[in-house]
Amino acid sequence: MSPPSAPLARKLSWEDVLGAAERREGERAYLVRLLQMLCQTQGFKAAALYSQSSECFDRQVVWGSEAFPASIEGGGSAGFESLELPEGRLLFAPAEGDWRRPKGAVVLALASGLRAAVLRQRLKEQSFAVNYRGVELESLYDVGLAIASMLNLEQLGEEILLRAVSLLDARRGALYLRSAGRLVLDHTLGGDARPEMPLDDPQVAEVLGPGLGKDQDLLPGARYLMAVPVGAEPNSRGILLVADKESRSGVGPFPDPDRRTLALFANQAATALETAYLHRQALEKERLEREIELAADIQRRLLPTTFPVVENFDLAGWSRPARHVGGDFYDLMRTREGRIGAVLADVSGKGLPAALMVSTIHSALRLLVEQEEIGPELVRLLNRHISASTAPNKFITLLLAELDPASSEVRFVNAGHNPGVVIRSDGDVREMGSGGLPLGLFAESSYEAGRLHLEAGDLLCIYSDGLTECESPTDEEFGLPRLVDLLRSTTDRSLSEVIRTVDSAVTDFAQGLNQGDDQTLVLIRRTA
Amino acid sequence: MTEMLKVTVDRRHPMAVIYTEGYINNQGGEEIARVAYDLIDEDHKVLLLNLQGTKIVNSIGISILIEIIEKMLEIDGKLAFCNLTPTIEKTFHIMGLAQYAKIFPDEGVALGELAG
Repeated sequence: MSPPSAPLARKLSWEDVLGAAERREGERAYLVRLLQMLCQTQGFKAAALYSQSSECFDRQVVWGSEAFPASIEGGGSAGFESLELPEGRLLFAPAEGDWRRPKGAVVLALASGLRAAVLRQRLKEQSFAVNYRGVELESLYDVGLAIASMLNLEQLGEEILLRAVSLLDARRGALYLRSAGRLVLDHTLGGDARPEMPLDDPQVAEVLGPGLGKDQDLLPGARYLMAVPVGAEPNSRGILLVADKESRSGVGPFPDPDRRTLALFANQAATALETAYLHRQALEKERLEREIELAADIQRRLLPTTFPVVENFDLAGWSRPARHVGGDFYDLMRTREGRIGAVLADVSGKGLPAALMVSTIHSALRLLVEQEEIGPELVRLLNRHISASTAPNKFITLLLAELDPASSEVRFVNAGHNPGVVIRSDGDVREMGSGGLPLGLFAESSYEAGRLHLEAGDLLCIYSDGLTECESPTDEEFGLPRLVDLLRSTTDRSLSEVIRTVDSAVTDFAQGLNQGDDQTLVLIRRTA
Repeated sequence: MTEMLKVTVDRRHPMAVIYTEGYINNQGGEEIARVAYDLIDEDHKVLLLNLQGTKIVNSIGISILIEIIEKMLEIDGKLAFCNLTPTIEKTFHIMGLAQYAKIFPDEGVALGELAG
């Protein structure tokens, strides 16, 4: 609205008025001079020109010092004299004494000037509306491009809400996303919003339908709500909520076309959200793979890289996990009084859970070996530790042996593991039978030790069932007899060569089938 | 997140920088207009609107900004914008604001050019 114009002292002529138009002082200055001329010719103190809008009259220009209101209601004149014009109304304050109702060329010029101003304003508004339609279309287009390329879910949620609120001239808004069977507030704009709600909350159905009453508590204080699902029901990603459509005079309800616009926008937003979710999953998978690789590296470090060198004996071990990390564990170590400990443990299950148990048994065994002689008592303590630290449905089979190189005696405890074998130099085979239940099943299990003596040329072999149960494409198992035959045929080779031979034989046997279980082998041969 | 618009002013007569933070809607736009008209009354002829704290503007806010531009043109003044988000800058171009008000990437560049 223009501020009241100061009265000019000099009486204006038509040349002055028309000169304003010619000098391009603007439409407003032209109308002010017309008002001035009117007042001077008709004997008014002041006058104001109003244009008609839908519900009231808005002040356009003023001449004189009277306080004309910024707008007046349809039939009102705010206590001033008035004259109706085709596109508005003229208010004026007569001076004391005689005055005449306005008429003649000045009124005609005012009416035409006002009409020109009103038409120009309408043209401007229409041009604005057309331009803003361009903004709306551009926003919808941008959603498909800009937010679809935005992979950060946090930023994406905010961007979706900002664009929706802006697009619909809403004063407030909120974006709810599905999470664990509920609708959880992702972002809000312009005020508080309910933090979360069940999917079947009655207010959700209401707000997605024709409307929701003012006593709603989704957006406390909002008067007019409109919401659409983000994506197609029943598997939508959430709901997009806007409230209080703005205009220059305040807020009101959203017209029907706005619902269609919002629905179109929300569908594109759903695609963008889906892309971002998939991206997050891919990142999560990548992170897990890195962690598993790290775990595999840690586990590899648990296995021996060198073996004790013992006169008259050759020692070797080998393990190949079925996945990145495995549930098999072996060790060859020096124990007390120059003896050699050999262990092979097989944790039930595979993958990360099994690998964690491998880590547990590795550390427990290393500690116990320093305190206890290898035998039933050590295994009993180990079993108690494993029972206390693992899930009830998990267990570990283990074959623990100790060689005394001086006497070539071997003492062993088999806790539910496949019987190891000793292949004598003449080809006979002796099994290292069971000495108790697997570790972790019963905390109070007890164990017995077995003993055997190694002669020159004898080979002690401890293996995991992943080796003997390796399957061929015809569902045939590699089997213990095949392993024993292989070991019998390699008596002239070093143990590292024997292990390469076993590895190669098992690989050939599987003929490219995925390895079903971890494969581990520990060998001790008396060479002289 | 964005709530009611906050407006602050740095007076550098005859220039003034108006900083906004929040949603330029009807209420936000009216607040900017109030501040801008006060500055005009103080005889500031060049106004720079720094929208660094604004991520969102609606059509009502834009119409008020257009009114401020028109007011500045009436007094032979200048209105300029800086630090617009790409979305807001695009909107200003489509709505024609960029024809009558310069848009600068940041305040330093804007002050340099407007002072020159």
